[in-house]
Amino acid sequence: MTLRLNAPRRWRRRHGSGGTGASRHAARLAMLLGAATLSLGTLAGTAAAAPASSMSSGTGWMRCAHLSPTASVDIYVYSFGDPTAMSVLRHVAYGGVGMYMAMPAGEYTVGIRPAGAPASTPSVLSASLMVQAGQAYTVAAMGAPDDLRLQALHDRLTTPDGKSLVRVIQASLKQPHVTVRAGSATLASNLAFPSVTPYGTDAPGQWMVDATGGSESWSGNIKLTAGSIHTLVVLDSSSGLKVTDLTDAAGSAMTPHGGVATGLGGTAPGPAPSPLPWLAVLAGGLLVAAAAAIRLRRSRAMTRHAR
Amino acid sequence: MRAAPRASATNAGPGKHARHSPPWRLVTRRPLTAAVLLGGVLAMAITVVGLLVLAGRPGHPPGPARAAPHGLAPLLTLPALQEPVMLAAAPPVALQIPAIGVRTRLVQLGITRQGTLQVPGSPSVAGWYTGSPRPGEIGSSIIAGHIDSYLGPGVFYRLRELHPGDRIYVRQADGRFAVFRVTAVHQYPKADFPAAAVYGPVPDAELRLITCGGTFDNATRSYLSNIVVYSTEVPSLPSMPSMPSMPAAG
Repeated sequence: MTLRLNAPRRWRRRHGSGGTGASRHAARLAMLLGAATLSLGTLAGTAAAAPASSMSSGTGWMRCAHLSPTASVDIYVYSFGDPTAMSVLRHVAYGGVGMYMAMPAGEYTVGIRPAGAPASTPSVLSASLMVQAGQAYTVAAMGAPDDLRLQALHDRLTTPDGKSLVRVIQASLKQPHVTVRAGSATLASNLAFPSVTPYGTDAPGQWMVDATGGSESWSGNIKLTAGSIHTLVVLDSSSGLKVTDLTDAAGSAMTPHGGVATGLGGTAPGPAPSPLPWLAVLAGGLLVAAAAAIRLRRSRAMTRHAR
Repeated sequence: MRAAPRASATNAGPGKHARHSPPWRLVTRRPLTAAVLLGGVLAMAITVVGLLVLAGRPGHPPGPARAAPHGLAPLLTLPALQEPVMLAAAPPVALQIPAIGVRTRLVQLGITRQGTLQVPGSPSVAGWYTGSPRPGEIGSSIIAGHIDSYLGPGVFYRLRELHPGDRIYVRQADGRFAVFRVTAVHQYPKADFPAAAVYGPVPDAELRLITCGGTFDNATRSYLSNIVVYSTEVPSLPSMPSMPSMPAAG
């Protein structure tokens, strides 16, 4: 509630008495209010997963996708209450997915406009999303053209060691139900449009993926490396079905144990243990050589004297 | 003259000619002295070699862990949007961090039999963990290097001096660069190393640099902590005016 009120107030402060484009401001205002009232998409997966990177305390990730078989759109991302977009993806066609953006934890608004529409026009669809530190999200426009909605998916950032995770998004309107298999494993069984499976654990490797729906099918290879997380998106194409492979995240195939032994102490304060034995040998060698040389000279001198 | 009787008594024969003898005749005439002299010189030579090896100076290759994996073309590419399509990056071959004067080729690292991360054989080069994503690909890429040798600073001696915003340049086998921006520098006790956070999956292209730090334990001859530098890839620009020159192919 406070956020909802805050947005216009902040906007007023910034744009105060500006006479130009009052209708434009009103449109933005409407968009912001709309964003606050629109429902969040369902959050897939449990929110309890531990953040993968403690380094980015205060940072989460978001990417946007257009997975509804409609015309191209522009996707705007706003920090909640700020009318200036922090990111715009223009002319995103059906099936288009942006890269993840790292962003400070907080509330954000995603707005969709027809491709090329001015930023001042009201967005046709918007939703707000709370980005939590260390978590990743995909905000996707999904559904039939007459039933378009924004869905926020919670993306996983942890895998069982040595395994991969895969989920399937069913975004084919022509085939309302699809089944997706990788090798002998079934990734999605009769999955309805528009929906998404939870992540499943899979063995890493090169997999032949088959997607079938009604009379159409698609098959191709995907490579799953251990420690990686993927989303397969089933789309309509001119020739039937099509599957795209998105890398949600990737880490080490095998997690090394413990710390890393990357120091021998040569610059550590305190007793440096290392060079002393070597220096002792060096000194010993010098001594012995010197002694031998002196002895040699002395004996030569003696023989000279003896003559 | 005073010493003559004794000297002539023991060394009369050879002594007569010693003055004009060429040096190699020392071996036959004074074998004991020659052996001692040779021993001393050898000891010194061994010492010098030993010290150099410890310091990691000689250019002997620090045994690569595995053969370089070949570039795998992505089977399915991401639809291109505003940002460039992220293709599979070529293996990393060199690293440069101008802020702390690092300029090194990269060797390849695997995992030891004990399950720990292998470290470069030479303290003067850094290495990429081949089990981690390649720098520039989506995921958390790992590069490790020594803070020091037995004698002095190693390649990552000044790693802890990095600050958020500093740039890291990785040259790939195909001559391209991946550029990273430091986001954080952390020190962790080795006993409590956050392996999941350091090696775990991330959704963007990140690079983590690891070295030692903290207190040196003379009993176990190792540092008690690790320093980890976190960095995120900077979207490549059409032109990079301040790009430093990179070391020659290693």
